[in-house]
Amino acid sequence: MNHVDGVALTIFLLLFVLVTAMGFAAARWRRADSLDSLDEWGLGGRSFGTFVSWFLIGGDIYTAYTFIAVPATLYAGSVVGFFAVPYTIVLYPIIFIFLPRLWSVSHRHGFVTPADFVRGRFDSRPLALAVAVTGILATMPYIALQLVGIQVVLEVMGIGGSDSSSWFVKDLPLFIAFAVLAAYTYSSGLRAPALIAFVKDTLIYLVIIVAVIYLPIKLGGWDSIFHAATSSFDAFNKDNADAITAGTAQAQGAIPPVTVHWAYASLALGSALALFMYPHSLTGVLATKNRSVIRRNAALLPAYSFLLGLLALLGFAAIAAGVKVDNPQQAVPQLFASMFPGWFAGVAFAAIAIGALVPAAIMSIAAANLWTRNVYAAFINPDATPKQEARQSKLVSLLVKFGALVFVLGLPSTFAINLQLLGGVWILQTLPSIVIGLYTRWMHRWALLLGWAVGMVYGTYTAYTVPVVGDPGSHFGGPLAVVPFTDTKGYIALTAFVINLVVAVAATALFRLLGVAEGTDQTRPSDYHADAGDPGVEDVPLDDLAAETH
Amino acid sequence: MPDPALPDPAPADPSASPRAVGPSATRQVWTVVGVLLAFGILLPLLVGLYDQATPTLLGFPFYYWFQFALIPVVSVLTFTAFRLAQAATRRDREARGLKGDPR
Repeated sequence: MNHVDGVALTIFLLLFVLVTAMGFAAARWRRADSLDSLDEWGLGGRSFGTFVSWFLIGGDIYTAYTFIAVPATLYAGSVVGFFAVPYTIVLYPIIFIFLPRLWSVSHRHGFVTPADFVRGRFDSRPLALAVAVTGILATMPYIALQLVGIQVVLEVMGIGGSDSSSWFVKDLPLFIAFAVLAAYTYSSGLRAPALIAFVKDTLIYLVIIVAVIYLPIKLGGWDSIFHAATSSFDAFNKDNADAITAGTAQAQGAIPPVTVHWAYASLALGSALALFMYPHSLTGVLATKNRSVIRRNAALLPAYSFLLGLLALLGFAAIAAGVKVDNPQQAVPQLFASMFPGWFAGVAFAAIAIGALVPAAIMSIAAANLWTRNVYAAFINPDATPKQEARQSKLVSLLVKFGALVFVLGLPSTFAINLQLLGGVWILQTLPSIVIGLYTRWMHRWALLLGWAVGMVYGTYTAYTVPVVGDPGSHFGGPLAVVPFTDTKGYIALTAFVINLVVAVAATALFRLLGVAEGTDQTRPSDYHADAGDPGVEDVPLDDLAAETH
Repeated sequence: MPDPALPDPAPADPSASPRAVGPSATRQVWTVVGVLLAFGILLPLLVGLYDQATPTLLGFPFYYWFQFALIPVVSVLTFTAFRLAQAATRRDREARGLKGDPR
């Protein structure tokens, strides 16, 4: 490492600057239009056919999560690393069920955030505040993952990196990633990412297709890749048998033994339930043309899981190619660097970096808008002018990115996927208020708030107590913990969610018994079925969100 | 967020299940949709079904190729559910005096 491949670096810089500059220019050029281009982020898009929207959504799915974080876990021999595949499989039946209802009620009432819905449904400002704050908090570690993605690409290209003794040079790639992200969002808002979607996604698909076809052929086929991985894991387990028994090293493997089946399944299910609770995911859903676009795409989207799974297996390909890196997250970039000609490695690095930059920008803007709409305008300054709101959004967007930086620096980031999974622990606690609220108003607003609080405290505390393997006393070392009253490990987010739900149900029964006021529901049963063209259904004011960032 | 386009919203009946709004004629269809989706969610989560190395296929251990195979399976389940839901929604909407297809 730390030898700079001039060709790769030149191509990387050229492509990176070209694509991002295109975004800036395009954002200026089309400023006069309303923000219809935001729809490109949506499931389906308002004006695009099925294939084009399918193409565009795919480009958003392949972020640093798929390129860096997931393959890193397989490279490191984590037996649950492949959970991302069942995660993306179960995701689509799940969104099929509840998203159309959320679409309908949002279009009847002009809701643009989950907190809007909760406030309208449960008539509770504290509950809406809890949902909004959780969304902002949970987005930060997700952005952190994207920052780590850019960081490792820069490190593999030889810019700064972990070998250096100076803290500044060591963390230089991270600071560059942060600065680029901040500059990009500050000057372009949501418009630039939408306008460069085609170029970005073409680049990403090109790299994925080449990687999953060319690399296995070069490495003697999948057969020998799997053999290389399993014999490497077996050798590791043999050499470290004592440490594994003592609990200071983690046994490696390619297939989860029965003891971690629940860990695997709960990671998949918990991640799938969490995804559409994030503020940035919902914006895209609400931009779709009508209810059935969501359902049709739910049936077509699983095709992405194929490429995601093959990308994940590049972690094994890196083992087969003899890639040796201390930071497993460098495995895929290092694999590209050693297997591809310099110029194509540069293309691949640019694809990964842009693929991380754009979602990070969208996430931080969504979190900032959530703040401005559901915290600032709702609680702090109800009479805020659009100008004041825009200033808030820009400021908070920056703060959210600083928060993400704090997560990278303050938490173990050898496996950035754990950062994203920590975000899942938090965001999943808003599910009872949002998803169950879509079906029934039986739950009491104060009970939902209580359940949320208990879930947040349990989840955060439990995650805090998980040490990094081989480093006793460390914190936030992983997403798994023993489920209470059992000896099975599971994803903390899902356990906390169940506790949250039990508390909310019990407290609802109690509050109803005591006759605690339950507030007025603004929504009506028919709101949950309304479709485009029905009375009272209007395009949700997504432009409001856009206006807040410019 | 009160919607000015909606005059005088009727107070919601908390006991009314939204699904009960639809006529019972499509209830069976919705049950089938639910079962299809439940399969799509449960199948990938039953790790015990596929936690084996053999038989391999094209060099992929069973564990891996089975999960890849689940992708089209769940896609077909979800697509069938989509078609059924679309038809049922149309009938539900017409029963409620709305246009069968949105604009």
